[in-house]
Amino acid sequence: MSNVPSPPRRGLSLDVYAVALALVLAVLVRLNLLPPIKW
Amino acid sequence: MATAAIAPAPPETLVRRFTALIPGLLLLGAVGYAGKFIEQSIGAYTKARHITFPNIEYVLWAIVIGLIIANTVGIPRIFEAGVATYEFWLKAGIVLLGSRFLLGDVLHLGGISLLLVAIAITLSLTFMHILGRVFKLNPKLTSLLAVGSSICGVSAIIAAKPAINADDEDASYAIAAILALGAISLFTFPLIGHSLHLGDKAYGLWAGLAVDNTAEATAAGALYSDAAGKVAVLAKTTRNALIGFIVLGYALYWSLRGQAQAVGNKAVFLWGKFPKFVLGFLLISLLATLGFFAKPQLASMANLSRWAFLLTFAGVGLRTSLRELGKQGWRPFAVGAIGEAFIALLTLGLVYGADRYLHL
Repeated sequence: MSNVPSPPRRGLSLDVYAVALALVLAVLVRLNLLPPIKW
Repeated sequence: MATAAIAPAPPETLVRRFTALIPGLLLLGAVGYAGKFIEQSIGAYTKARHITFPNIEYVLWAIVIGLIIANTVGIPRIFEAGVATYEFWLKAGIVLLGSRFLLGDVLHLGGISLLLVAIAITLSLTFMHILGRVFKLNPKLTSLLAVGSSICGVSAIIAAKPAINADDEDASYAIAAILALGAISLFTFPLIGHSLHLGDKAYGLWAGLAVDNTAEATAAGALYSDAAGKVAVLAKTTRNALIGFIVLGYALYWSLRGQAQAVGNKAVFLWGKFPKFVLGFLLISLLATLGFFAKPQLASMANLSRWAFLLTFAGVGLRTSLRELGKQGWRPFAVGAIGEAFIALLTLGLVYGADRYLHL
């Protein structure tokens, strides 16, 4: 975080990938395709 | 060596880019898990010996370990790409955290946050501009500091920079000041919250409204308690949702003065600046409210969110260079610090009022 982050590249933003990953995980949890996640 | 110098660089494939992330991801995981291990070990040790010792959350350990590594041995190049993904994990974690909120809670607390954010933003933007004039800062640097401290730190500055045609140097100063102040707030906010005996909701709301960067706001909330961390994320997400409107306002202001390009379609501009993870958070919250997930599944999603945040907190420490922060000069830092102190006091007063009259 010491440097100015580079401007976003063209294409989908980081947010969209993060949302996509979260939704995929949610679906996997919903379909019981992931073992129960412990903390 | 000679062969490597002569041979043309192979095109960067998706696999290669993904592989480059692995060392840094492992480092994030190791630092974050070390923080969790230290918290659990201290807890087990003090419990076994009946010693009264305040629980120091893994969040603080992970950040401190990251800070020590980054500012002593440094982060070797091979780890950089993976460590830089910490914001990605933050956003994925926030979306998954939506499972812990019923939509009604989101609307209730989010509505209160929105009201407080609107008041805080108006007053803090005005105050920052007065401070910028007093300290004779470049007006665009003042704009960036104002956006960063009233909305959402680094993301807001990055969003505003091209829109108002600000210099790289100004953006760098503003980001450094906001990050330095964010690091300070991690250590001061929980102490102030405890000394004022703030409840989890009130403290979480305060941290979400006053700490600038989303990662630091999430960490400052989680340092207080799990429940406070949850509310801090919600309040901060509400603040983030307003980023487009404020940046649009500044873009129009500077373009009217002929110092930034004109804004074309305002709806397209707003959508471009809108943080999409807010929509993901709302979607998951809606699904949880509709009973789409069973109780154990909700617990799994909440834990996935915790693991994502663990990687984020490790990244916050690993990406903070104290030397770089110290290089930036005292004036932007002074303006940021005075402004932040003002915003912290203002939002604390607002949260007190909301707690009393709007029943958090």
